Amino acid sequence: MDQGIKSRPKYEKLRRDAAGRFHLLLADQAVIPPDTLDHDSPVGAFDECWTIERHSKAIPEADPNARTHGFRSQEHMLIALRHRLAREHMGLRLYAVGTEPFVWAVHGVGDEQGLGHSEMRLNATGSTARRVYCNHCRTISAGVTTSIFQCTGCNASLFVRDHFSRRLNAFAGIQIDAEVPGDVPPAEELYL
Amino acid sequence: MTLGRDIPLRIRAIEALSPSLKRIAFVAADGNPLPGSRPGAHIALTVPGIDGAHRNSYSLVGAHQDRTTYEVIVRRVAQSRGGSAQVHEALRVGDVLSASPPTSQFNLQNKAKKHLLIGGGIGITPFLSFLPVLRERNLAVEMHHFVRPDEVTVFERLLLPHRMPTMRIHAGRAVGIEDILKGQPLGTHLYICGPVGLMQDVEAAAYRLGWPTSNIHQESFGASGGRPFIVELARSGRKLQVGENQSLLEALEAAGLPVRSMCRGGACGECLTQVLAGEPEHRDHFLTAAEKSNGDRIMPCVSRSISPLLTIDI
Repeated sequence: MDQGIKSRPKYEKLRRDAAGRFHLLLADQAVIPPDTLDHDSPVGAFDECWTIERHSKAIPEADPNARTHGFRSQEHMLIALRHRLAREHMGLRLYAVGTEPFVWAVHGVGDEQGLGHSEMRLNATGSTARRVYCNHCRTISAGVTTSIFQCTGCNASLFVRDHFSRRLNAFAGIQIDAEVPGDVPPAEELYL
Repeated sequence: MTLGRDIPLRIRAIEALSPSLKRIAFVAADGNPLPGSRPGAHIALTVPGIDGAHRNSYSLVGAHQDRTTYEVIVRRVAQSRGGSAQVHEALRVGDVLSASPPTSQFNLQNKAKKHLLIGGGIGITPFLSFLPVLRERNLAVEMHHFVRPDEVTVFERLLLPHRMPTMRIHAGRAVGIEDILKGQPLGTHLYICGPVGLMQDVEAAAYRLGWPTSNIHQESFGASGGRPFIVELARSGRKLQVGENQSLLEALEAAGLPVRSMCRGGACGECLTQVLAGEPEHRDHFLTAAEKSNGDRIMPCVSRSISPLLTIDI
């Protein structure tokens, strides 16, 4: 269903920005699906590649010149990213490929560390499950696959809009039965 | 963008800072509070001259909150197009001049993690209004100012009220631009103001080091003249001579054509004009590289013509 919201981010295959001097690629999987990168920019075109292994043995390489690092989890990676960017220099370009919540979490860390829009490139792929922000109680619920959806904070039945907040990394959820309490249409699986 | 009406300014004081630099303080001639300005703002001042009035942009160098006084610093240029020589020789305390309200295309970036200021010579003027604000907000600042060796003390004196440990005045160009730009932390914004050659060098070095366009901010005061050329006005068929010490915009204004303009420094885009024939020599910071190579537009406030004849859609 097209809600006609034009501000929704659009994505394309990641292409290395030739104007940059150092290219850091982050992925939310252990292996980056090749079709998420532009044919001009295979993994080898990036100076460094960080992946998420999702197991407790994963540990970043100690060698400062290592070109690949595996992390236990998204949180583990983002903490390392925050530290890394804090001592990085102008000329760096940051790339993220993975689910939409993941790439915007990376974007959030980049933004906080001073990177601008033109220094980050994102490609959202895989599951389209959404983070939803309850416009009423401000709770953010992750992994939402349906609209209507019950807010995990206040139990309101939320209609999930295509309105995406880059700052909150979440879609807006609005109570569907605010006018007529109890008039809630059935939920549809839309975001898998 | 709409500009307010011109305001009458009376000269309150003229101070010689060096043989070629004068600081001029203005108050409102009508007694009203002056329009507020942002750091980095400039006014376009109409300076009467023997060969007609000249309109030049000058950065406000005083505290931007000050609604009683505007201060500018004017360098007397050897090949003056009329404005600066007139300012230095003819203006007296008490004279009343007409000026645009302040506008600014050279703005401090609120999201910057660090502010890197690189200037040359009289290009210091917008920085003089940046520095108190940066200090007040306790922001990370680094400044490099390039001056002629015989003017080091003049600029040291100008910067004295704003001294900070990360400020350097360089005599000549001994320090490499790349050495300054290299290793700047993420989120640094670069502000450049000075002679065209310096600005081009700094911009080119920044691009070589991978700086994105969004973090590079510059303000020029317009290149002074160049080779004379003829401009043909397509709509009327009129032809005008653009003299070597005159800008295209000034030639159009002298002929009584109402071209809208604002910054007069190739930054704001207000005077954008279509080119129908001829090859423009682009000196502005407004058009993108692609637009410049198309050659179908020109910013007449700073840009000139490579071909002897330029036809524009006016």
